[in-house]
Amino acid sequence: MRSCYCRSAYRGPSNDHAGLGTRSEPHPACQGPRYGSRMKFNRSVDQHIAVFGESGSGKTVLVSSFYGATQEPDFLSSSLFDVTADDTGQGHRLHKNYLGMRDSARRPDTTRFSSTPYAFTVKLRDTGAKVSKQESFDALRLVWHDYPGEWFEQDVSGPEEAERRIATFRSLLSSDVALLLVDGQRMLDNAGEEERYLRSLLASYRTGLLKLKGDLLEGGKPLVKFPRIWIIALSKADLLPEGDVFAFRDLIIEKASDDLTALRDVLAGFVRSPEALSAGEDFVMLSSAKFEPNRIQVAERIGVDLILPLAAMLPFERHIKWVDRMHMPAKVAAELLDGLGPLAVALLGRTGKFGRVISLLAPLGFKGDELNAAMRTAVKATSDQLRSMNADALAKRDYQSATLSRFRLDLEAGEEKRVLLRSKR
Amino acid sequence: MSSPSAPPPSGFIWATRGRNWGFRFLRRGGLDDPLGTYEEAFTDVADRPEVWHRTGDMVALRFSDPLQRQDAAGRVIPHDFVLFGSWAAGLNSLEEGQKRMWLEVADEFASVWDQEPPLRTGQPH
Repeated sequence: MRSCYCRSAYRGPSNDHAGLGTRSEPHPACQGPRYGSRMKFNRSVDQHIAVFGESGSGKTVLVSSFYGATQEPDFLSSSLFDVTADDTGQGHRLHKNYLGMRDSARRPDTTRFSSTPYAFTVKLRDTGAKVSKQESFDALRLVWHDYPGEWFEQDVSGPEEAERRIATFRSLLSSDVALLLVDGQRMLDNAGEEERYLRSLLASYRTGLLKLKGDLLEGGKPLVKFPRIWIIALSKADLLPEGDVFAFRDLIIEKASDDLTALRDVLAGFVRSPEALSAGEDFVMLSSAKFEPNRIQVAERIGVDLILPLAAMLPFERHIKWVDRMHMPAKVAAELLDGLGPLAVALLGRTGKFGRVISLLAPLGFKGDELNAAMRTAVKATSDQLRSMNADALAKRDYQSATLSRFRLDLEAGEEKRVLLRSKR
Repeated sequence: MSSPSAPPPSGFIWATRGRNWGFRFLRRGGLDDPLGTYEEAFTDVADRPEVWHRTGDMVALRFSDPLQRQDAAGRVIPHDFVLFGSWAAGLNSLEEGQKRMWLEVADEFASVWDQEPPLRTGQPH
């Protein structure tokens, strides 16, 4: 989770905030106080998601499907928020990819020799309602890192591509959440012998990371900022319609548990406080569209609508629990909680008794104690409380709270539909 | 772009992908690191599925696999070329370029396109 503590946080790709092409640190000029300090919220909260997958596993299709769907009239008329690409040209390219699939059954072109971080701003709708001073942030931003899948599998063409690969992996590994794609087509191709593909895939991730480790860890020091949630995602899940997320998890455990453990060990070697790491404990089914011989049905998606809630809320839920339950260095705890306070306050919003406290405190700025209380209250909210919070927020047109509570309810609905399986740890 | 001290490019650059191996250079135009030159040649036409684009003595050429071979994701495989010197001379259309270059690389591609990664090819050209 990243935070830039100024109004200029969503200017676009020409601004360092976008984190495009460089290591995604908060803008130096905006490195303000962390959650423990007194502050007023007036900023964007960034979530970075890294999508790892072999060449042809559907990474570019996924980001195109995610963005394209948010530009459809149905979404625009019903959603509480808009999703815009910070770089208009990038947005047009993704939308063009989506339209090519929808209208001409044309798949997006292959990614060549370079990576692309896509920055999206999730801006709440302006409905004319009075804007409250207690709104805790202006916008959510999702930075989605896409890269050529072959960068794990094969040698690069020369020094230039080698530099790009290292810079990209630095960026990928400073994300909040990582998705490891398992290609549904390859699973189908290896039906009955899935271990052949799964073991090779997990070994490829493992050896790819090990090869780059020396370049990625400065002075061999483990990273504090690192994706601590690695979700195993089945891409092209439409090709395996009879299975659900439990069947997918069981297959992974049955056929490749040793390789998954080995990958987890490698990841643990990258990160400081590796006890705060869940790798291969969450599973999701993803399908960007239903692919038929001469038709691509982009409306037939599976799990794609969960990506934003996953990126926004999974670190929120998991990190707060970890900090409460584990002993870890203060620096790690601070990193884990960075940006979560504003989310908690926004989630609780003006609803219920906490809302009254927030109303009183907001004009003065928040202090660590209030943020701590907000985070713990928000993360412990039960399904019924979330539903009530959501209804109340909608009635009061508190769209921040409504959107964030909806995200959490969406994750629960994903679990009920057996599309998502979250770690219970 | 190659550095001033590097030898000038010669022959042609050929970048493509296989069924299961990703985009890579199968010919390097005599360059140790052909990426800069390749990207320079395609700068103005990067997103187009078919390209014939001359910049001085250099021609960027892109066409879909003439046999419609696809990668594992079901995309028809593209072939990207940057032609120099005599390879670029006298080429005035995509059709001419495709005819000339496919004659040169068709057999080589047939022998490698469905290899499992990592791809094993001869020394870089």
